[in-house]
Amino acid sequence: MSKAGNLFVEGDSLFHRMDGAVKLILLLTWTVSTFLFLDLRIFAVMLSAGIGMLLLSRIPFRRMALLFWVLMVFTLINSIFILIITPRFGSTLTGSNTPLIPVGYDTINAETLFYVLTLSAKYLTLLPVTMLFIFTTHPSRFAASLNKLGVHYKMAYAVSIAFRYIPDLTQEFKNILNAMQMRGMGISRGDGNLWRRMKNLSLVVVPLLQSSLQHIESVSNAMDLRGFGTGSKRTWYMGMPMSRSDKWMLLLCVLLLVAAILLKGFWAEKFWYPF
Amino acid sequence: MQPAISFRNFSFRYKSQSEPILKNIYLDISPGEKIWIAGPSGSGKSTLAHCINGLIPFSYGGEVSGNLYIGGLEVSEQGIFERSRSVGTILQNPDAQFVGQTVGEDTAFQMENEQVAQSVMKARVVTALDLVGMLAYEEQGPHDLSGGQKQSVSLAGVLSTRADILLFDEPLANLDPASGVRAMQLIEDIHRREGKTVIIIEHRVEDVLAQPIDRIVVMSEGEIAAIGTPEELLREGVLARHGLRQPLYLNALEYAGVPISGLKSLATPEGVVTLAGDGNLPEGSEYLGETEIRSRLEAWAERVEPATGRLSGAPLLELKDISFAYGRGRTDVVRNVSFSISEGERLALLGSNGAGKSTLSGLITGILKPKSGTITIRGEDLSRWSIRQRGEEIGYVMQNPNHMITQHMIRDEIALGLTARGVLSPERERRIDEVLHTCGLYPYRNWPVSGLSFGQKKRLTIASILALEPKLMILDEPTAGQDYRHYTEFMDFIDGLAGRGMAFLFITHDMHLALEYADRAVVMAEGEIIAADTVPRILSDSEVTGRARLRETSLSRFAKAWGLSSPSGFVQAFIEAEKKVKEADE
Amino acid sequence: MKSSIWKWNTRTVVTIGIGAALYGATSWIGIPIAPDTQLRPAVALLAIFGALFGPVVGFVAGLIGHVINDFLTSGTVWWGWALGSGITAAFMGLIYLSKGFNPQDGEIRKGHVVRFLIYGLVGIFVSLAFSGLFDIYVMGEPNDKIIIQTVTAGLANTAVFVILGIPAVWAYAKRNRNNTNLTVER
Repeated sequence: MSKAGNLFVEGDSLFHRMDGAVKLILLLTWTVSTFLFLDLRIFAVMLSAGIGMLLLSRIPFRRMALLFWVLMVFTLINSIFILIITPRFGSTLTGSNTPLIPVGYDTINAETLFYVLTLSAKYLTLLPVTMLFIFTTHPSRFAASLNKLGVHYKMAYAVSIAFRYIPDLTQEFKNILNAMQMRGMGISRGDGNLWRRMKNLSLVVVPLLQSSLQHIESVSNAMDLRGFGTGSKRTWYMGMPMSRSDKWMLLLCVLLLVAAILLKGFWAEKFWYPF
Repeated sequence: MQPAISFRNFSFRYKSQSEPILKNIYLDISPGEKIWIAGPSGSGKSTLAHCINGLIPFSYGGEVSGNLYIGGLEVSEQGIFERSRSVGTILQNPDAQFVGQTVGEDTAFQMENEQVAQSVMKARVVTALDLVGMLAYEEQGPHDLSGGQKQSVSLAGVLSTRADILLFDEPLANLDPASGVRAMQLIEDIHRREGKTVIIIEHRVEDVLAQPIDRIVVMSEGEIAAIGTPEELLREGVLARHGLRQPLYLNALEYAGVPISGLKSLATPEGVVTLAGDGNLPEGSEYLGETEIRSRLEAWAERVEPATGRLSGAPLLELKDISFAYGRGRTDVVRNVSFSISEGERLALLGSNGAGKSTLSGLITGILKPKSGTITIRGEDLSRWSIRQRGEEIGYVMQNPNHMITQHMIRDEIALGLTARGVLSPERERRIDEVLHTCGLYPYRNWPVSGLSFGQKKRLTIASILALEPKLMILDEPTAGQDYRHYTEFMDFIDGLAGRGMAFLFITHDMHLALEYADRAVVMAEGEIIAADTVPRILSDSEVTGRARLRETSLSRFAKAWGLSSPSGFVQAFIEAEKKVKEADE
Repeated sequence: MKSSIWKWNTRTVVTIGIGAALYGATSWIGIPIAPDTQLRPAVALLAIFGALFGPVVGFVAGLIGHVINDFLTSGTVWWGWALGSGITAAFMGLIYLSKGFNPQDGEIRKGHVVRFLIYGLVGIFVSLAFSGLFDIYVMGEPNDKIIIQTVTAGLANTAVFVILGIPAVWAYAKRNRNNTNLTVER
């Protein structure tokens, strides 16, 4: 995590200029569309489109690498786990059974193998657009966007505060942990067995809570003193007017959603298994 | 002319307390005036500030009697929102006030809440940021700024709303000395250019006096103890009588036998001149000629024996050529640092925020691993020691005691570390009793932690480390947020511990602390050590203090202004004289 | 003084923000107990924020904290589990509505702890049932695998709730009890 507690990367691509609210809608439509299917063909198309958009945003790959690997490891573990627990799960979706790899107590079949591939593709499909959103949207624009989408400004500002204070609290938390460790009450491996370490961790709760309450007190005073929450609306310094390309994107999102629903209804309602 | 703020027989009592904290306040502040409200903690000065900006009664309920008028209007009917249009507050903690995620956004915060149109906001933000010299940072986030810069942004935010009264609640508390000077300068600029009424609540006397002040209001036990110009109050020694530290050079003059009644322009060390030859002398004042004063000062400085320093023992902790960078390929934030601390020595690690002090302490405690160089304790290499192991030799005390205390009862808090280290009863109980005695907490031994004051909590954290019997204790900003009396009490207590052979490393940007309580200082700037010497010599060196964003002590600046032969000798003389006074008191 | 759970003043907004930040700031600590399933001590914070500030603040803070943490650390939002965090906190926060329960002023009784425990267990069950069903029906995960994951996560969350969460709230309330009759003993 960067020092600023967000992953925003400066830039001037199409997506950097795009209204945050539109990007959020894109993210939500994309997510919902992905949720609808279990079909490798659709994921292949969406994944390529997603990667294409990610390339357009010109975010340097090294900034994204970590998140990419995290998800790869996640899906890999997930797939292996599924194969071990339910080696013939694919059959419940296709009705066929093509034994492939014997694992002693059972045999992993081709259907399941293809199923985990599809599932992994589903998870991967979610990644590019989420990344696009978090890497090209400054968190302060994020709050303004939420408000624009009809979320009450107080809720939107709560999100903004969360982004604002995550780095401060992370640092404070680490400092508290370190000081505890110096007194002999650490939570790393060298500090005792699991039970001991859990107990040590429980000690941290009190100072952490204490300092959070202090933060709440001083930040809400500061905001009250600057007139927060008195109006039924507020304006946003970081808000952006909608441009022509934003409107096109919105239209595209609507089309995507309609297409997805139609596809789901008439063509790709179930797990796609070509063999 | 109608006063900007007018307290009329005003009293206030917090809901949870039985006694009023403000009693019968009468105070008129004229538009365009610059007022400093001074007083020790608990004197009611912060409460007074809360009454002015509306946090009382909006956030802190209680019972108000009497009247308060702002801009001629009785305020009891006003909400906090209307108040925020006439009174702009700059809070003590810049991190709490900086709620936006960029400089521009934060400056616009109040305008956003007032639903100002975006285009108007943009223009006003530019003007306000330009006024405080932060325009170039418009797109930066709070994590890229120093404390002083964040505070400037807070000021810009208040300026953009066009409130006529600016209220600064301890603006210097979180700033290093150089930023403090700049903040006061900025406040003065705004005051002059914009003609705003300025009210400053603060206890750092010399820093506030560096810029002109119209009147000082001294608070004591909920009442106004004195009101007057800086000149009047300094001459009468009012500040010292009410638990504030008067400028050091005034004490030095007194020790040297030069009566301040014969001097004028007392507020800054460079300004002080004799009244001799002045036509209208105050009656009965004893005044001396310039040459006479100079010779008395020189004689006094020479009479004092040069410091021999505390006899320090064998080297305890040694750092050799330590370098460190966050991540490979990044620039070093600590470069080739070498120094050592001897047994029983009190060493101050001085430097501004961001100079690398906390990184260095992380390297010593083992939280961070050096890129190159070695750290040894009594000659033994620490590189393979875990944090926990190091903790047996080195104790670390955080700035905020609330970040360390985890237990409900005082004894339990001290017992915690001992139990973790396998020290069992009865040895454990013996050690707890011992440190409770040492730290002056024995009378409170059966109290819950929440019953303790801030200073006592601070002692409790020291006690909990002391019980582990380390050889060296690192104190991070040990005096932050404490007024002069608590500060002195606490540091005298630490001094006593040092007398028993414990070594101390103070990580601080507080120069008084270094001057009066450290044997030696090491100065860091931009990751390097730029000086290591006795404290008087370091703090009389304007080049070193300038580079480290510290400030040359007022004693030395005074000595230079008067052309004394050895400014550092003058500083040394002052320290020795203070020690004698302290010993005489005991 | 407890305020209504539906009234949103500045303090409510800040509490949600700080609560979410705290949940996000501590979520990186976890002990893997099943594939892609962790024992996360941060769950205790859901209990604490719920109990101290009520179910609404708890729900929103849990949800936002979880989503932000997902954004920053995994690049994908696991909506089922994020809503699960919110649901857990909301149930645990029901204790806030109990008569006579007010940890800010040190008011807590044994009966409250029992109730807190029940609300918490129900909350953990409901939230995991929700997250599990979400994964099965929306994501298309196999039932057996999800059952293993949710059961282990449920046990882990229960452990954290009982070992860290409840004692923390109890200790917090105890701390805030009025310190009357403190005498200085020489």
